[in-house]
Amino acid sequence: MNASASPRARLAVLGMLSDLHCQPIAYDLNCLRKLVADLAPDLLCAEITREAWEGGDLFTTAIEVREALAPVVAATDIVLVPVLPTLTQYADFTPATGWRRDVVRALDRALQWGQREADRPEAVNGALFGAFCHTLCALTEMLWTAEDCAAWEAQNKAMAENISQAVRRDPGLRVLVTLQCQRLHTLLSLLKAHSDELEIVDYREL
Amino acid sequence: MDHPSITVAISGRYPLDRAGLAALVASLPGLRVVPPESSPPPRVLLWECGEKLSADLPRSLPGMAILLIVGEIESPILPPGVAGLFSKDEKPEALGVAIRQIARGDQYLSPSLALALLERGEAEAAPHDFDMSILTDRERQILALLADGLSNKAIAARLYLSVRTVEGHLANLYTRLDVHSRTEAALIAIEHGLVSRIK
Repeated sequence: MNASASPRARLAVLGMLSDLHCQPIAYDLNCLRKLVADLAPDLLCAEITREAWEGGDLFTTAIEVREALAPVVAATDIVLVPVLPTLTQYADFTPATGWRRDVVRALDRALQWGQREADRPEAVNGALFGAFCHTLCALTEMLWTAEDCAAWEAQNKAMAENISQAVRRDPGLRVLVTLQCQRLHTLLSLLKAHSDELEIVDYREL
Repeated sequence: MDHPSITVAISGRYPLDRAGLAALVASLPGLRVVPPESSPPPRVLLWECGEKLSADLPRSLPGMAILLIVGEIESPILPPGVAGLFSKDEKPEALGVAIRQIARGDQYLSPSLALALLERGEAEAAPHDFDMSILTDRERQILALLADGLSNKAIAARLYLSVRTVEGHLANLYTRLDVHSRTEAALIAIEHGLVSRIK
C-alpha cells in the first residue's frame, strides 16, 4: 500500500451507547441525530452490513443506525459506508451456564449502571467512562471461550479493514466512524496502524 | 463543529402546501426556514408550482437559488433563475439533499423528471461525436449513473464516495464532454450505450 501521494483522511471514532448485549436501553436519539448532522462528515462508517444497507433491510441493525443515522443520512449529503462484516453484531457470548454466566451478568449490570450515568456523548466518549467501560469489557471478554474471543477479534479486524478501504477509495475526507462503545478501544488500536492514510482526531475536532 | 444552517424560504399558491413544506424543511437537519422577504435573502427559495410549471415564477435575487416543486415538466430547459426541479413523487427527506445541492451552486433534477426528459431528449438529440475512451473508468461509471437520473448524492451513495468527490468528477466530465448541463451529459451517455435503463 502506497498512500504517500494521497492526502490523509481526518477520522473520528464516536462510541455510542448501543443496545449492548441485546438489552435495550432508553436514551434520546435526537442527541445522536443532531451530533452527526452538525458534524456533517463526508463519510459515515456505520455498523451495518453492505447487504443490509443496499437492500434497505434496517431491521437487523441497532436502533441507532435504524432510527438516528439512516434518517440523517437520507436528508443530508453524508454518505453512509456500511462496515460491519457480518450480522453477528454484538459481543453476546455469555456462557450458557455456570459461574462464568453469573459473573458476565453482574458485569452487564455494572455496565448498564455506567451507561445510565454517562448519558451524554461527551461522557460516553470521555476518559472516565472509557476506562470504566474498557475494564468491564476486558473482564467480560476474559470469561468468553477462546473461540468466541477469536470471532470477536476477527470481526473487529474485518471492520477496521473495511474502514481503511473506504478511506483509501476516497482519500483526504472527513470520516466519522460510529460504533457500539464495546468496540471503541479495539478499533482505535487497529485504526492507528493505518496512520499513513488517516489521522485520528477527537470527534469534536472533526 | 456547528455548520451554519442553510436558510430556506417557502412560497407558492396554497397556504396548506406552504405550511406542509415549511414543517418538512424545519424537520431536516441543517436547514432553517425564513420568510421569503427576509434580509439578507434566503439562500434557497422553494416554490410550490402546482401540477405544471406556470408563468408566474418568482423573481431570482442575487445569492438566492430557486427550487421548484413540480408535478411534471415539458421542457428540459430550466426557467431563468431556477436551479432545480424537485418532483412531488420523491421521498420527502430527499428535499434536504436537493436544497443542499442547489445551495452549493449546482443544479438539481429529480430522477423521475430526469428520466422523462431523457426519454424525450433521446429521440430529438443530434448525435455527438465523442471518444469515450478518454474518460477514466470512474468517470464512465459516474456518467452512467447520472444518465440513470441519479442525483449527486445518490451517485455518491451508490459508489461510497463523498458528494464533493462526485462533484469534482462531474466538473471534469462536463469539461471533457464540452457540455454545460446534466441533461446534455446524460444524452451523450445514452448515445454511447453507457446506460440501459431508458425504456
